[in-house]
Amino acid sequence: MTFAPALRSELIKIRTLRSLLWGLAAVLLATTAFSALAGLDDSGEEFDPLFSTFFGVSFGQIAAITFGAQAVSAEFQGGALRLSLAAVPDRVRWFAAKAVAVGSPALVIGLVSGGVSLAVGKAVLGSRASTLTWGEELRGAVGCGVYLALMALFAAGIAAVLRSGVATLSILIPFLLIVSFVVGGASGTVADFLPDKAGQVVLHENWDGALGPWTGLGVTALWAAAALTAGAWSMRRRDA
Amino acid sequence: MTSIDVQDLTKEYGTKRAVDHLTFSVLPGRVTGFLGPNGAGKSTTMRLVLGLDRPTSGTATVGGRAYATLDEPLRHVGALLDAQAAHGSRTARDHLRALAASNRIPERRVDEVLEQSGLGSVARRRVKTYSLGMRQRLGIAAALLGDPPVVLLDEPSNGLDPEGIIWIRELLRELAREGRTVLVSSHLMNETASFADHLVVLGRGRLLADMPMREFIHARVQPRVRVRTTDGAALGDLLARHGIEAVEGEGGRWTAFDARVEDIGRLTSAAHLPILELASEEATLEQAYLDLTGVETEFAATPTTPQTQEA
Repeated sequence: MTFAPALRSELIKIRTLRSLLWGLAAVLLATTAFSALAGLDDSGEEFDPLFSTFFGVSFGQIAAITFGAQAVSAEFQGGALRLSLAAVPDRVRWFAAKAVAVGSPALVIGLVSGGVSLAVGKAVLGSRASTLTWGEELRGAVGCGVYLALMALFAAGIAAVLRSGVATLSILIPFLLIVSFVVGGASGTVADFLPDKAGQVVLHENWDGALGPWTGLGVTALWAAAALTAGAWSMRRRDA
Repeated sequence: MTSIDVQDLTKEYGTKRAVDHLTFSVLPGRVTGFLGPNGAGKSTTMRLVLGLDRPTSGTATVGGRAYATLDEPLRHVGALLDAQAAHGSRTARDHLRALAASNRIPERRVDEVLEQSGLGSVARRRVKTYSLGMRQRLGIAAALLGDPPVVLLDEPSNGLDPEGIIWIRELLRELAREGRTVLVSSHLMNETASFADHLVVLGRGRLLADMPMREFIHARVQPRVRVRTTDGAALGDLLARHGIEAVEGEGGRWTAFDARVEDIGRLTSAAHLPILELASEEATLEQAYLDLTGVETEFAATPTTPQTQEA
């Protein structure tokens, strides 16, 4: 059996759950709305026009991890996983299909969010965004999409290990909201390598940590890959 | 030939042995009832056959192959394990579409099995609006999706209304007639008796019986004859004289053990005893089952006594 039928099945599952579609819509909404709001505030001392444009990502990512966690945790309700694995007994292939089905719509919606945020953010910032080059803008928009997709995958991997969406979110959301904000201020430390901190470098015009825009996204990708690997391993090892 | 073969299968959860060196085969063309008290290992065995749980030792194969090695397994084996498997927020049709896509089953099959299970008119309603019986039907529809030669159903009659019970009975008979291998677990004896040809009985993870249902019943329960005449005492004498063991019940009704209606009819006729009632009491699966598992039942609160059933 090839990969394509398993993927098609997982994509149907995503498309046919209204809560997941709302989750994707929330990514777009939260990212663009909070980006626009951030542009109205010009009191910051360390004003970064690019990050101001993508400020909403901090909120959009909550929706993205909720989407990723829910897409996986739906399988752990009432024996759904048994039916899924009876249909696709190769568990690693099944989980890979699930990950692609989570990652690809998240990437698409992330890129759209990036594009809309950029357009809205620039409009709100007006002349204050004049220092941004075309290359920086593109980097930010693409980076926004990739970052949101990676966070959704990160959450998906953790949800597969914990077998619960609630547990996943009650770890990740406080982590993103508190830990990262608290230790995040200290640049040049190990905090730079946290999944969200590292991946958000790509959204800044200027950065001073150990990681650049793409290496930062690379670190986030490693986090996501590690979570997915742990999820796949847990899926393989345990009874369904 | 697509049979299910379980070979020396053992599954331990921690220190508890759920399935204990189980060996049996389920053959095509008949309905095999899978019986045993709660916790006897029926569901575990089904999960092991489907490769969902890993056996501690032993093997379970379908048509000689481990389930996990089957290409597009839904076309080989259909299973109902849990009526709650469908997500409440999805429609029944979308639930089956996703399942069908994974095994490249054409979408028209989805509508076919929905019709077949009587869900055609509610196919586009969300599963959370379904009753348990409707969910059970949806689970059965999912099992039939790939038109599989092997069907495993775990407690399919759960929650079904009387009409549904008749439907599932007819369906199981039909599947067996078509030459499929059908394994159906249940703890409802009268229900199982209505569709099973063959029985596999478990108790505490071990195989207690693997034989045709008729044989199983007759090996365990003596046939009995119920007889009532105008003169109960004379009837008692008559039976005793002919060495027929019998006990007197209420209203002058006697129950004769290990006897046939033909014999007793002749005896009473020869003795000029007017008969008011003469009937053979069919042994039931329930009696036979309780006789077998009485000692094995793990969770029995009180010793169970076989209930005689009016034949």
